[in-house]
Amino acid sequence: MSSNHKRLSMGGRIDREQPVDFTFDGRKLAGYRGDTLASALLANGVTLVGRSFKYHRPRGIFSAGPEEPNALVTLGIAGRREPNLPATTLELADGMVAESQNRWPSLAFDVQSANGLLAPFLSAGFYYKTFMGPTRRAWMFYEHFIRKAAGLGRAGTDPDPDRYEVRHAFADVAIIGGGPAGLSAARAAAAAGARVALIEQDFLLGGQLLAEPSDSAAAAWLRQTEAELESSETVALMKRTTAFGIYDGNVIGLVEQRDPTNRQPVGEARQTFTMLRARSIVFATGAIERPMVFSNNDRPGVMLASAARTYLNRFAVLPGKKIIVATSNDGAWRTAFDLAAAGAEVTVADLRASLPAALVAEAAQFGVVVRAATHIVDLRGGHAVRRATLNGPDGQSEAACDLVCVSGGWSPTVHLTSHLGIKPAYRDDIGGFVPGAFAADRFGAGSMMGAYSTAGAIEDGHRAGTQAASFCGKSGPAPTPSKLDLGETAAAQLREVLPAGRGKAFVDFQMDVTTGDIELAHREGYESVEHLKRYTTLGMGTDQGKTSNFPALAAMATLRNATIPETGATTFRPPYTPVAIGTLAGRAIGHHFKPIRRTPMHDWHMTNGAEMLEVGLWMRPYFYKQSGRDVNEAYVAEMRNARQAASLMDISTLGKIDVQGPDAAIFLDRVYANGFAKLPVGRARYGVMLRDDGIVFDDGTTTRLAENRFFMTTSTAKAADVLSRLEFLLDTAWPDLRVAVTSVSDEWAAMSVAGPKSRAILSAAFPALDVSDAALAHMGLLESEWRGRALRILRLSYSGERAYEIYVGATAGEQLWSRLLEAGRPFDLKPYGVEALGALRVEKGHVAGPEIDGRTTLDDLGLGRMAGKRTGFVGDVLRRRPAFQAPDRQRLVGLECIEEGKRLRGGAILFLPGEKPYGHGRGRVTSVTFSPERGRYVGLALLAGDVASEGSEIVAVYPMKTETVRARIVSPVFLDPQGERLHG
Amino acid sequence: MASPDFSLSVADCPLIQVEGWDGTLGQFESSLSTSLGTKLPASVGETVRHKGFLVIRVAPRRLWLALDDGAQAPSLAVDPDLGCSVSLDEGRVRFRMAGADIARVLSKCIAVDWRASAAAPGRAVLTSLHHVPVLFLRTGETACELMVPRSFSRSLSDWIADAAK
Amino acid sequence: MLRIECPCCGPRDHDEFRYGGDASVTRPAHDDPDPEAWYRYVYVRTNPAGLHREFWQHVIGCRQWLVVERDTRNHAIASVDLARKLSARKSPARKPPA
Repeated sequence: MSSNHKRLSMGGRIDREQPVDFTFDGRKLAGYRGDTLASALLANGVTLVGRSFKYHRPRGIFSAGPEEPNALVTLGIAGRREPNLPATTLELADGMVAESQNRWPSLAFDVQSANGLLAPFLSAGFYYKTFMGPTRRAWMFYEHFIRKAAGLGRAGTDPDPDRYEVRHAFADVAIIGGGPAGLSAARAAAAAGARVALIEQDFLLGGQLLAEPSDSAAAAWLRQTEAELESSETVALMKRTTAFGIYDGNVIGLVEQRDPTNRQPVGEARQTFTMLRARSIVFATGAIERPMVFSNNDRPGVMLASAARTYLNRFAVLPGKKIIVATSNDGAWRTAFDLAAAGAEVTVADLRASLPAALVAEAAQFGVVVRAATHIVDLRGGHAVRRATLNGPDGQSEAACDLVCVSGGWSPTVHLTSHLGIKPAYRDDIGGFVPGAFAADRFGAGSMMGAYSTAGAIEDGHRAGTQAASFCGKSGPAPTPSKLDLGETAAAQLREVLPAGRGKAFVDFQMDVTTGDIELAHREGYESVEHLKRYTTLGMGTDQGKTSNFPALAAMATLRNATIPETGATTFRPPYTPVAIGTLAGRAIGHHFKPIRRTPMHDWHMTNGAEMLEVGLWMRPYFYKQSGRDVNEAYVAEMRNARQAASLMDISTLGKIDVQGPDAAIFLDRVYANGFAKLPVGRARYGVMLRDDGIVFDDGTTTRLAENRFFMTTSTAKAADVLSRLEFLLDTAWPDLRVAVTSVSDEWAAMSVAGPKSRAILSAAFPALDVSDAALAHMGLLESEWRGRALRILRLSYSGERAYEIYVGATAGEQLWSRLLEAGRPFDLKPYGVEALGALRVEKGHVAGPEIDGRTTLDDLGLGRMAGKRTGFVGDVLRRRPAFQAPDRQRLVGLECIEEGKRLRGGAILFLPGEKPYGHGRGRVTSVTFSPERGRYVGLALLAGDVASEGSEIVAVYPMKTETVRARIVSPVFLDPQGERLHG
Repeated sequence: MASPDFSLSVADCPLIQVEGWDGTLGQFESSLSTSLGTKLPASVGETVRHKGFLVIRVAPRRLWLALDDGAQAPSLAVDPDLGCSVSLDEGRVRFRMAGADIARVLSKCIAVDWRASAAAPGRAVLTSLHHVPVLFLRTGETACELMVPRSFSRSLSDWIADAAK
Repeated sequence: MLRIECPCCGPRDHDEFRYGGDASVTRPAHDDPDPEAWYRYVYVRTNPAGLHREFWQHVIGCRQWLVVERDTRNHAIASVDLARKLSARKSPARKPPA
């Protein structure tokens, strides 16, 4: 086990009593509770952590937060394996297994780092120029090799054993960011009486205050404020939680990580996706330090100055002994002083010619060497920096070093406000972009608004918290603003690109974009930032260019000789940090992927051999295993039984709507293409509804129960759409009609008994009821009760046989189903599934979903006579438009397979005999079945009217199976065209 | 492992729906109020408890009478010129849920703010549970009911039980 | 995600609603035989960048059809009203039965 030889013996926010074991690339290492993976690696002296995306250059740890571009690792094994995670955000936990990425055969020796030697060929636009366009085929050949060479970590393919959760939450004020501004805002908003959610991505609150020494005034302020918030009942402190996206209506997408140090996370979700709905939002997202651009600035050992301070003060890790702090501003000097106090030899190279006297004096006290007007031009060292080339007033010089801290100033974190479409506005005084105008319910505070001092951030947070609470009508007595002044001075910003050495100078570390690439983009005319981004892939990595955005803008501005606001800013989009798809899905996977609807007879089907089929959300019997060895054998047997004896079908899935009111008949007369006003009480009628554009919408049967009351059925698929449409017409078009429509789909269990013996079965099952043809004629209704529940028997047929639809209260559905089967046993009554149902209706020529496909009219389907000369119904006018009358309009026909041993297939394209089978053809086969009546395959088709003459031949081509079958055009009614069997 | 602080039971859910016509709603409501012998909830989401049933306003002109277990349905004679009624006795089931953990469990099921006044005890909220329309009824500090469509009930009770793990 | 404030039920997530299209077009009377009027109602849209009147139904709620004024540029919702309340103004009030 390796020692924590870079760890200091005292200080930090780690618990030295709780050692934590982990492995990195198979090496056993140890850290402490309170470490991140990055801090533990640094403590163990691990500086080389990964290889870069394109050039496979060695990379180390660059930051201490989610902006990390370099130190991406793969965590976990088997199903828990997750790639591309920044080591800087991973809370160290016992047994953690981390691996470096993008290296082969090992991290230290990577054969593809030779890509660096090929670098001149891998510049921006290389792939496009080489492999797209005229030489596209080259891409087809090389893609495999390039994809293998480039890229980041690989996801696992095993099923993930962990649990993920989606949760809803609410707050008055959501505060994003738990740094000084956010904490202060939470305190003020809570005191005003608001319900507060404070969201912090880290496992500790404090933000930049965590970089202050653990025995400082800042630490004391943090402890006190945190204790205050923890004791407040109206504040939810959400640590380990990232606000990854802000959406309309102040909906915030959060991902919360389970505490990885919890050893018994039974049942607890590994990650929880919370949709937080807030009445107002305070953005206190802080700022991200800017790197500096010079040759080989990507070497392991180059680190943001604030990150080095965080590693020192928060994690008690001294990441170097001989350190150069390269800066353009005062802030990084704090890092230099703290590192010097911890025993390092430190040189500050400040870009500025004239330095604040107070800082220079303090530097002398700490023994820090100061070099004014100096910047780094180049670095040497492969797996760790060794020497720096500095350029100062006296020309170039060399200096040995093992750590280079860089600070080019700070960029406010405006990603989340950008999600809302708030354009960043450039502020010259701070040399950075802050969010433009906020809506009345959103506020910004602290360094994300350019208030860079701790005292200023706390004051700003207090103001924003108070205002955000006030927006929600919470304006209780304001607490005294708490104060903390760390004496920071204004942060001067680096706004230009400095001359670099000859080696590559990186702007975007993760995407391996250099200043050379930006120059190339500029030369080739990709000057707009949006073009620059796409041409060079700048900012397109998993870090979304958090550290590269501003240096890239500055580089382009310099090249264009323009100002930064003239150069423009890119738009950030969700997610702020990567979110696993599985987290967004939560528990809605497997059998919970969608809710399942079960009919009242579901359990009977399951225990009696039904093979079930998902139909929309419904589970329906597909066929019954006792009917045949497979579906093809079973459905034909089930069809035969329905034609010869009787069969029972669960039709509970039909949409059912109660239509009531003095104007119900008028209403139905308008919504159906055929008339209902004259339908006598106790009679049913098949009806077809059109859309406003004249296309058929849905069909079903509606029965008049009483003068003012109807019972409508719809197709299973359109049940919800039909009800909603009826409500639409009543609410918006005809509010004067007194009609109520109510879904009663779940009230009724419904079953159909079809076949020549169906009447006898009904007589046996309901001995007290008169089901004779006189009492219950075709399209008649009989209402009664069965075992205390309402019972409706309708004599309707879908299959063409004599048939009855029986509706009973849902709770008695299974009992009645069993009763019918028992009563029907002497008559060979057997259940059948949807495959046979579909086949029976095709044989009878009834249209269904495949024909009513949102493109067909009444005339197309041969139903024009239903509307006749009626007018005044929905769709009436536009159905008669000329285009629908075109002679080549596709119309419903029947097809009969005329080739021995061949079959028709749904979806086949129709061509004239001898016609080249190419393009859309003359029509298509919509539904097919084997017809026991005809002893061959038959089908329904939509075929151009000008070639659809009955008796002629057509060719059905099915390219998926390269099948070509000859068929004869016939009437779509294959069975009993006179309808005699309805009375059989 | 189920939460020890959460329970779920399933029961039948007899309902009667009454609806008044637009334009004559005042007359409809006073006649209904007289016939039931109780005042009616004024706005959507309000409920009024009466002997044997709860009156819930589910839409501006639509009320549900939710019968208590074993209670007799009130006799209703709705004037067809004023409105109509339809029995919804069979199509729903009632989930009764209780326990200290209830708010946490429900936060994984419905987008209802347990602490909002709109979800206070005695209030009803029509909302979605895993995309299915349900009626949430807050019955106590740590108790509530959901009226869910019968066809979805097993799927939804599984969903809730899973959330309580 | 849009949050729509239903006049009956309060603010809700948009997945409780069904979108119903443009509410600024005028639906012809049910027995209007003019194809031009129906053509305009079904097909002709202005597609504004700015406030747009549109129908939404609180389908997983009170089932009322609403008219929502939404700014197509930023999804800010300016108003929500019951469609029935707005359409009732256009049609003659029904006399209460004697």
